Amino acid sequence: MVRNVSAFRPALRSGQRFDASAAARPILTFESVFKSYRTDQPVLRGTNLVVERGEFVFITGPSGAGKSTLLRLVYCAEQADDGRILFLGRDVARLTEPSIPVLRRNMGVVFQDFRLVPAWSVFDNVAIPLEILGLAARLIRTRVGEVLERVGLAGRGVDKVSGLSGGEQQRVAIARAIVAEPALILADEPTGNLDPQLAIDILGLFEEIHETGTTILFATHDRSLLELRSHRIVVLSEGRAIDVPDGLAVSMDDAGPPVDDFTVPMSRVAV
Amino acid sequence: MIGSSMSAVGRVWRSGRGDVKVYLLSVFSLAVAFVCLASALLVVFNLRAVEARWARAGRISVYLRDGTSNDQVAQLRKALEQTPAVAATRHVTAADARKEMVDDGVAGSLAILPVEAFPASLELSLSDDVTDEQVAAIAQKLRDVPNIESVETYQRWTDRISALVRGGVAASAVLALVVLAAVASVITSTMRFALHRRRIEVEVLKLVGATDRFVRGPFLVEGALQGAVGAAASLALLALLYAIVRGKFDDELGLLLGVHPTFLPWEIMASMVAVGAVLGALSAFAGVRKLSAV
Repeated sequence: MVRNVSAFRPALRSGQRFDASAAARPILTFESVFKSYRTDQPVLRGTNLVVERGEFVFITGPSGAGKSTLLRLVYCAEQADDGRILFLGRDVARLTEPSIPVLRRNMGVVFQDFRLVPAWSVFDNVAIPLEILGLAARLIRTRVGEVLERVGLAGRGVDKVSGLSGGEQQRVAIARAIVAEPALILADEPTGNLDPQLAIDILGLFEEIHETGTTILFATHDRSLLELRSHRIVVLSEGRAIDVPDGLAVSMDDAGPPVDDFTVPMSRVAV
Repeated sequence: MIGSSMSAVGRVWRSGRGDVKVYLLSVFSLAVAFVCLASALLVVFNLRAVEARWARAGRISVYLRDGTSNDQVAQLRKALEQTPAVAATRHVTAADARKEMVDDGVAGSLAILPVEAFPASLELSLSDDVTDEQVAAIAQKLRDVPNIESVETYQRWTDRISALVRGGVAASAVLALVVLAAVASVITSTMRFALHRRRIEVEVLKLVGATDRFVRGPFLVEGALQGAVGAAASLALLALLYAIVRGKFDDELGLLLGVHPTFLPWEIMASMVAVGAVLGALSAFAGVRKLSAV
């Protein structure tokens, strides 16, 4: 079921009134974004990218291309050196320190290494975004139960996450990312630690979430996943984001182990 | 309100249960530090009671010369009872003095001494409103009376105890500073260690939109609990030791000091626990203030 986007109420600052025009804007826009960790090695060099609401976008590129940096800039774990990053039309680089947590409540983030609290139960790990929102305990129990069922972990709430398999831990991380129904999900190599079949299962889970209207940025350098599905693909190459036209992904080499050669013929690329 | 869905205690338990052993060690260290402070306070508190007891002794012992006749004693008592500051007089003969000493059991070996070895005296009970100056004036006048050997106002005992109390208070103040510094150091270190152990938890909380206040909350409560439990444990330990000592030496202490020792009043105990809690929370805040480093 596709979520009714007009019902979405984005708010980057608690107590701020709903801005109806925000629903019509792209959910995410990168405008000439520069980022470097060392002056002689820029990671992003004037990156431009527009992600519309409800899109499923693969962000790909070789290791070190800046996939993780791109995502970290969105949830303010990094600050851009130059340029603007607009989330629902608001420049996240200009958010004040107290507003950053509020921004993050509008996003779900999934990592390759899961980032779960090992000492906590599955329930506690999934429930924490709702606790931060201050929801009632009964509502949290209901909502967490629904989400665990959705990711295939029904009845596993009491289990310690340290006792789960890698695939199950990633499902818990995904459940945590979607439990508060964020507008945007950022997935940073979420299948990197999983075997090929589990990776496909997890990708399928993200697609199910996407079908409900959630926007997903899925960073991966696993070409087999890109060729498996016909979603929008953005390649990060030499610090720029390049859209790959439909059909190019499937015309790449046969599925196999991840490779670092993502050079795309410029003649076939619509920038 | 942020975080209202789960009680603070619940969040503290969920986050801190993995560090229980570390916290128990911390509480033990705090209890050792606090027990020093509590002991000093106990001594000072009882010294104050002794000081107050002797400062309000309200009596003068007038030792009579040997050979003072009963008529002379009677005349002296009559004169003294007409003095406004004197409420009552009691004649203690040499035999009475010897009997009191032997009956009190303070000096059993003195029983072999003859009656003549014990001085007869007049014990004066003074009015409640008599001042130190009036006591001194009365004593001075009495010393000029021919049949009187000496006059004891017990003022020098009060002075000595007062000096002892002042010294005890000063020592306790210094000790308090040392203890508070030790408590702050222990809790700060413990919370830094806990923060390091729970880096993933802090990282996850911040990732999903928790404010620094929300993240710090459990750490502050844990610090406050450590301080309060450490102080309470020290009081419990001291109370146990106090009960043992008092059970064995209560009568002796009572005779020696003139008052029966008492344990710290609940106000002081409650204050110690509160100080432990506040100091614990402040120290924990100092330990986890740099969440951005996580």
